[in-house]
Amino acid sequence: MIRFILLILSSTFILLCNSCTPESAEQEADFDDFFVNLADNIIVPRYAALESKLLALETSSNNFDGTNESLVLLQNKFMLAYLAWQKVSSFEFGPAAEYNALLRQNCNTFPTNSSIIESNIATQNYVLDLPSNYQAKGFPALDYLLFNTDNESLKMDLLEVNRAAYLRDCISDMISRVSNVLLGWDSYRVVFIEANGNDKNSSLSLFFNQYLFDYENLKRNKLALPSGFASQHGVPLNADTGKVEALYSRQSFALITSNLQALENVFLGLGENNIDGIGLYEKLKEYNAQSTVVDGDLAEAIQTQFLLCKSKIADFEFDLPFEIQFNTNQLQEASNELQKMIPMLKNDLRSYLSVTVTQTDADGD
Amino acid sequence: MLMVTNLKKISKQFSTWLSTETSIAPLVVFRIIFGLMMFVSTLRFWSKGWIDSLYVKPIHFFHYYGFEWVKPLNQLGMYLVFICLLLASLFIMFGLFYRWAALIYFVLFTYVELIDSTNYLNHYYFISLVSFLLCFLPANRYFSFDVKRNPSLRLSSIPNVYTAVLKFQIGIVYFFAGIAKINYDWLFQAMPMSIWLQAKTNWPIVGNLFAEKWVAYTASWLACVFDLTIVFCLYSKRFRSPAYFILVVFHVITGMMFPIGMFPWIMILATLIFFSPEFHLNALKLIQSKLKLNKSQDIVRNSLISHKLKKKLLARVLLLYICFQLLFPFRYLMYPKSLYWTEQGYRFSWRVMLMEKAGTATFFVIDTKTGNKGEVDNSQFLTPTQEKMMATQPDLILQYANIIKQEVESRGLLNPKINAEIYVTLNGSKSKLFVDPDVNLLELKDGWEHKDWILDF
Repeated sequence: MIRFILLILSSTFILLCNSCTPESAEQEADFDDFFVNLADNIIVPRYAALESKLLALETSSNNFDGTNESLVLLQNKFMLAYLAWQKVSSFEFGPAAEYNALLRQNCNTFPTNSSIIESNIATQNYVLDLPSNYQAKGFPALDYLLFNTDNESLKMDLLEVNRAAYLRDCISDMISRVSNVLLGWDSYRVVFIEANGNDKNSSLSLFFNQYLFDYENLKRNKLALPSGFASQHGVPLNADTGKVEALYSRQSFALITSNLQALENVFLGLGENNIDGIGLYEKLKEYNAQSTVVDGDLAEAIQTQFLLCKSKIADFEFDLPFEIQFNTNQLQEASNELQKMIPMLKNDLRSYLSVTVTQTDADGD
Repeated sequence: MLMVTNLKKISKQFSTWLSTETSIAPLVVFRIIFGLMMFVSTLRFWSKGWIDSLYVKPIHFFHYYGFEWVKPLNQLGMYLVFICLLLASLFIMFGLFYRWAALIYFVLFTYVELIDSTNYLNHYYFISLVSFLLCFLPANRYFSFDVKRNPSLRLSSIPNVYTAVLKFQIGIVYFFAGIAKINYDWLFQAMPMSIWLQAKTNWPIVGNLFAEKWVAYTASWLACVFDLTIVFCLYSKRFRSPAYFILVVFHVITGMMFPIGMFPWIMILATLIFFSPEFHLNALKLIQSKLKLNKSQDIVRNSLISHKLKKKLLARVLLLYICFQLLFPFRYLMYPKSLYWTEQGYRFSWRVMLMEKAGTATFFVIDTKTGNKGEVDNSQFLTPTQEKMMATQPDLILQYANIIKQEVESRGLLNPKINAEIYVTLNGSKSKLFVDPDVNLLELKDGWEHKDWILDF
């Protein structure tokens, strides 16, 4: 009898232990096509695009000669690169989250701190890698350097050696980081495609959590916070136009639109060269996923919500700081529309992807 | 009249049976298994980094009603608690300073569980109860270091009651889990079983079947019948072996389907207590020969000769305990509205893997002086796990509102108002508003009475 029980127990042990690895690998194997499309058709081309836009920006900063044309060109190249950044900000995992990259903090900490920038330029004594300089570098710092006053004064300012050097340092810092990421994806691609399952370190979980983070960041930090709809540690914040993204160039809405479009394209599986591959949309259709937030199909619901959000943003006539001062109601409507997406992503999409919130044991919700 | 005498007769028979002597071996094997399982569970908990992520990192904690005073220690303190738990579980296994070890284990384990109610699991409650019972049971009086140190402690038999109470506790877990499954959703909608199986359709071979509706129904009914009957089958000599085999299969499957950690293992091993004394004696002999332990001579000494007074007191405590265990899970009957929706009387009732519930909770703080309204960034207050658990449980929602209140008041915003827009989906239903979004949550009080501010499902 006892030997019989021992036999049962040991075979159970083997079964339960073995089940963990191959089972979960099997379980999520059919996300492979999604991962391949995401990596090859979307992530890598987007980083490559960002790198080339940054290189073009570098060229025009090197070629800046104090003329009006060269300043406008520099400003345009900056904006193109900033728009390209919006398309990669949701991929802060793998190479982008490595110490030699940390793209989010290094490229887009806003609002930027102009007094740190000015003192860095004045003292010529700065290490851009230091976290204390996060708010004095990246796109927000360039936004300040290239737009903080009228073009006549800027032409003069940017000819100043120290200032021009700081501008170039900020650009080349981003170039080296983005190049690291692009290089990193050469080897990370295989890891990404093969890290199946849904635990903390699975690709699905890394990707989903950063995707959600990027959306919530857009909703809160790019819109609700400067508009005065957010709070800090629970204390409601006053509207503050100084907290918008791209404060000096006043292009906040263009960046928000680019960011939204980038998130939507990831959802649809739509690549940079307009090749429509397997996205979350197709995966949800495959599962016949239903929304619990609105009636019907989840894939359609999310797509519709993206359209609604984009049209709400497109409805604004003036720049964000102006709208914050004079048009709170419309901003509130836009913010509400962005909010409606949250349960669709956070509950419905998460549950269909089986990405767990918690890594601890559970015995029912 | 006849019935009363009959009842008296039965109760007398029962109490005679309870005090009848039986072998101590099953209790001793249970002690060894429990100590070992707790040691492994605690190590696993530690190695997964959960001490940090559940007890050190969170800024705020959710308490149980009446246990607001239980607070976590600092990082060093929490690790010391877990070291003590590890040591205590080993001491229980070896039967060394057993009573102290069991008492320390019970107190520390329960303390850890009381720190944050978002970590509530039925099997943690089970472990708390079993370690509480072990404090009173003479599980160290055979095959233990305590006996080695003091051979006069050695017993070969104990009254039936000492193993019966453990069997009762295990039985409660299964039987109540079975009763909880007798509801419309589970039996006649195959919910949430359908959702769970749907997620596993990629399993090899059987995966295709999981998409079938009849499979979900069959699985629901089988699980219900299993939970309701398994204890009685284990109790009967005739059905014991096949029942145990089914039990192992059941726990292996659930262990593979759900992230329930050590629970299947604990139940698979704990239910061995239903096997015969001979089985356990053989098991002990096997351990003895495998570990090449000295065979001590078998002195047959029976019974715990204890004072009548002590016996009577123990009997009363035991009766109280049993009544509590039988009645407490039914407290939900005193609340109106759907149990799953309001979760009033849901915890501590062996409702294991019964529903699929998820929510999104957005809180707003209103400065009553300026009229400023700000959305709360939950990640500035809670861990993702805490946020998830809070979003569907009314008492935690109130606690969270008060956590926010304390925070904003400490930052100089006095008399805030706090609203919440909370959408909850239950068993795949459409998300519905959970509480009135215009009600000031700070004006509501938590308590035993019905929470009439929860909106209808």
